[in-house]
Amino acid sequence: MRKSIVRLAAKSDEIPTASTADIAFLLILFFMVTTVFRPTVLRILYQLPDAESTERILIRRNVSYIWVDKDSRIYIDDHIVSVDVLAGKVAPKIWDNPELITMLNVDQDVNYGVVDGILDQLKEAKAFKITFATEFRR
Amino acid sequence: MQLREKKKRVYGIPTGSMGDVAFLILLFFLVSTVFTKDKGLKMLLPEKTTDQEKVTVVPENIITLAINPAGEVKVKAAGHDEYLTRQEYDRIRGIVEEKLLERDTLLVISLRASKEAPYSSMVHVLDQVKLAKVTTADGRELSARKISLIPTSEE
Repeated sequence: MRKSIVRLAAKSDEIPTASTADIAFLLILFFMVTTVFRPTVLRILYQLPDAESTERILIRRNVSYIWVDKDSRIYIDDHIVSVDVLAGKVAPKIWDNPELITMLNVDQDVNYGVVDGILDQLKEAKAFKITFATEFRR
Repeated sequence: MQLREKKKRVYGIPTGSMGDVAFLILLFFLVSTVFTKDKGLKMLLPEKTTDQEKVTVVPENIITLAINPAGEVKVKAAGHDEYLTRQEYDRIRGIVEEKLLERDTLLVISLRASKEAPYSSMVHVLDQVKLAKVTTADGRELSARKISLIPTSEE
């Protein structure tokens, strides 16, 4: 019986680029969805206290921040504010997102009276979910 | 005329560069990923109450932790009345665990800090309270859930 001669298909040596565009679009889509813009970088001098029972907050979109630096200056939304106006600043955020957690980044040497004033304002704004920012201690 | 055989076209999705692309993406994420820094001690504040809405708790169910401007803590509970210096904070955990076994879920921690007390002292005391965990005889895990931060105006 005669064997049929089969020609081997020549393999292409070129780098395939057909899927590059799809991948690029996927990446763009990913960044469009996940990017959170932060227009300014705060330069606040503060040292957080440490605690063994520190827990991580996993959902970052539900977090609002308040900073208090070494000199007891209170920062919110990139502005230095006095303690009396805090409720007015936080209340609209709670109205938008009732699940909001207020993160208190307070310097460890600040007097508790400052923190107490902030807590009072947060109660007024109905921002009951708070977290005292701390560093892990082993 | 010479007859030439036509070249056969190869159909198929080329996958040769897929590995390179995947590694590039991996490298990108390795370089650019910033892990979340949001961490701390969670608390739930109470609503502002009027005098009529105030709840009275039996004194036996309360541990009062009062922090003075020097950072010393006065622990006051039924059968306990002692001063702890900043180096002795780790004893708070033992006291809370002991009372948890005694009072079960009824235990209330009342944390009072002076206006001049350092914030770090308050956090360290709160940390010790949160660390207290016990297992009851019937196998339940207990921790201090009722923690009350007393406003400095009520000093």
